[in-house]
Amino acid sequence: MSNVLSIAREESRLWLRSRLALFALLIFAVLLAAVSIATSLRMSEEHRERSEQQALAEETFLSQPDRHPHRMVHYGHYVFRTPPPLAMIDPGVDSVTGQSIFLEGHRQNTAMFADARAGADLGGFEGLTAALVYQLFVPLLLIAIGHGVFIREREENTLAPLLAQGVTGNELYAGKWIALAGVTLALLLPLAIVSAAAVVRGETLLASFGVIGLYALYLFVWCGLILLVSAMVRSRALSLGILALFWLASALIVPRMAVESAVSAMPAPGKIETDLRMQAELREVGDGHNAGAPQFMQLRANLLVQYDVERVEDLPVNFRGVVSEVAEADVTEVMNRFAEERMEFEVRQARFAESFGWLSPVVAVSAGSRALSGTDLATHHRFLREAEDVRFDFVQGLNRVHAEQLAYNDDINRSLNEEANRRTRMSAENWNVLDEFSFQPAAADERLARAGTPLGMLSAWLLLLTAGGVGAARRMQP
Amino acid sequence: MSGLVREIRFLASDRAALLWLGIALLVACVSVVLGLREIATQRVVLNELIEIDSAEREVLDTLYQDWGDVAYYTFHLTWDSPSDFAFAALGQRDTSPWKHQIRALALEGQIYETDAENPDFALIGRFDFAFAANLLAPLLLILLLHDLRSAERTAGRYELLSATAASQGSPWFARAALRVGALTICLIGPLWAGGLLGGAGASTLVPASLVVILHIAFWWGVCALVDRYGWSSPVNLTALVGVWLAFAVIVPAAIKISVESIVPLPDGGEILLTQREAVNDAWDLPKAATMEPFIERHPEWADYTEVSQPFEWKWYYAFQQVGDQTVEPLSQAYRDGRIRRDRLAGSLAWLSPPALAERAMQALADTNVAATLTYEQRVRAFHKALREYYYPRLFRGEPVSTVSLQQRPQFRGKES
Repeated sequence: MSNVLSIAREESRLWLRSRLALFALLIFAVLLAAVSIATSLRMSEEHRERSEQQALAEETFLSQPDRHPHRMVHYGHYVFRTPPPLAMIDPGVDSVTGQSIFLEGHRQNTAMFADARAGADLGGFEGLTAALVYQLFVPLLLIAIGHGVFIREREENTLAPLLAQGVTGNELYAGKWIALAGVTLALLLPLAIVSAAAVVRGETLLASFGVIGLYALYLFVWCGLILLVSAMVRSRALSLGILALFWLASALIVPRMAVESAVSAMPAPGKIETDLRMQAELREVGDGHNAGAPQFMQLRANLLVQYDVERVEDLPVNFRGVVSEVAEADVTEVMNRFAEERMEFEVRQARFAESFGWLSPVVAVSAGSRALSGTDLATHHRFLREAEDVRFDFVQGLNRVHAEQLAYNDDINRSLNEEANRRTRMSAENWNVLDEFSFQPAAADERLARAGTPLGMLSAWLLLLTAGGVGAARRMQP
Repeated sequence: MSGLVREIRFLASDRAALLWLGIALLVACVSVVLGLREIATQRVVLNELIEIDSAEREVLDTLYQDWGDVAYYTFHLTWDSPSDFAFAALGQRDTSPWKHQIRALALEGQIYETDAENPDFALIGRFDFAFAANLLAPLLLILLLHDLRSAERTAGRYELLSATAASQGSPWFARAALRVGALTICLIGPLWAGGLLGGAGASTLVPASLVVILHIAFWWGVCALVDRYGWSSPVNLTALVGVWLAFAVIVPAAIKISVESIVPLPDGGEILLTQREAVNDAWDLPKAATMEPFIERHPEWADYTEVSQPFEWKWYYAFQQVGDQTVEPLSQAYRDGRIRRDRLAGSLAWLSPPALAERAMQALADTNVAATLTYEQRVRAFHKALREYYYPRLFRGEPVSTVSLQQRPQFRGKES
């Protein structure tokens, strides 16, 4: 054990004396701190802004004057996706998906105003976040300082004396590992601080520790790789070349190839295409604005029988309101079916792309990070589904007011007669059918479960590389 | 001449150099093939959509007897066909809409909708030639050049080689030039092959090649500069990757943050809320409150503004128009803000050659921010034409007829 620690101590001492290593460490410390602060500030500002807009949207809806309930159906409502606390580390899909949706009757609108569309375009990496620095660039630093850990012993002719003193390959490996892992843990400090801040903002300990653990595991994978290559190769230049190639492939090439493969293996129909294909089905349901449409004849007959009356005017409910309610339910059923199909498709695409995590730890960590932070595709889908629930509830609430409180005769005459028109204006008290909306990501254990596959991939990487590294260290000869 | 042959032979036996060049060639070929395929897919999707869209309109044209209903229910597809060079730089087509459906209601409530791809993918980005040439190629060049001199130094041949050369530095220059040239060919070759296959002309391929050459030349300069210090290969490589990190990642990120704080944008949500309030308030206001601002814009309908019933379609479309008029200043500010952001980013991109090269390629491919804004303007112009088509029919109370429907404006893709 003392051998292990003294090897680790010696290694760290050398790094601290090397101006290059120290300089690189310093630059990364500044970069990590700056990007973490910038990401945190931006996301907490977004959180504040969107929460305020949400409150304002609710207030505006509730403060509308008396009017025909169907006008409120089209007046509509807005919901905003507030970013979860861990978005301070990984904003995930936040910048590419819209942040708000307009909710109204008989339509499912898309989320609008994605940041990526209004931002400055500078060619690829300009949207730097703390997560991205950890995923893509911290490994470069580890390579720069760690690629020669074993080779140095050879170059300085200290390997032979070490082995002669009875230091085993295991001990040598463990010592180097501790040194490199120590640097890694120090580099994780900014992440840990932001995670702690996320806990203060209401994130669970489980998710915060999950994120820290995920990134630690990921960087240890890189440590394992660096140690393996350094133990197997005899020259620094070759070691650096191999590691640079691996980084190039896993950080830059494989993630984009994953996207390309997923897109070509399962091309997804767009929203417009889905909408256009949906139109025919929607027409079969009938237009809820037109109570005289043939689709509602059966409904009409049923109601007349149920209430035992001759004419629609004699029904105790407003037939137009009933039609609105029934049509909304049917239309929603169709829209949801298509929307679910589309989401299912996106999930399958994403899962396909995620499987490239077996080829690149970067793909694995980014999927895991988004899942744990609550900024992944599944969370966006959760937002879409919750928004749809809010939409359906308030629209149907208003339709019930239309059906139960508004006289049919006034309703049909409102375009012709000012008096009737005035009587169709329902009291604003009815607008409280609207539920408060505050978007929350899934529970921490559910997110952890979603990150299960990436965590498994990274563990497999770590296991494999460590086993290989230990084996190589054991076989090391001066 | 014999010197060149010797250097080529030397390069041919340098396995590491061949590996990096092979990767460059592979990456460029793959990116070109993927880009071409993506553009082909986009064209197929558009053709299908255009067909479904017009079939859908044919069905709708038989359903309604009132111009108000026709205008309310009929959607029109608009689209932005990819240019022949778009395969090389997919640019904004990844995140911004290139197809859009609109109808004759207030436009501001519709124009910001997007038909987005899988957000997981938009986040990571696509593997196009611009990515290969602007972000990957500099790294490959660094790997090719970082140990030219230092490797010889390590091998103990440096002094001998320098001493026997005709002039100081010349063998190194020839050696580096050969590698740079080979890398450039590995990139530009597939680009031209793909471009000619995809129908892009010399007018885009020549400037694009020039961008690649200048960008590579810049990185050669950086490598030469670092080389002068006479460090060892690992230190050279570390320093060069550090420079890459600075130019390709940190500077662009810093520019983005500065641009976005220097040029604030009005909040998009505010545009929608203002528009919605204006449109909805109109229901409760006297009809004249809608008609007055409406005829300011359309004096030709001043004699038709009499609205006698609580609901009339012409009044309904008038307040849709007034809703758009109300948010015009905000919407214009949003648009101007995006233009200013883009211009400022364009000027500051001179601080980051990779960003500059990417922007230049997007400009050549018509996939930059300016192109998406132009598309947006074309959608606006089409929407205006639709309104101008419906207004006479709504205000004069004309009956719906097949002849009249055939005169309705059709969206046309841009000439390519």
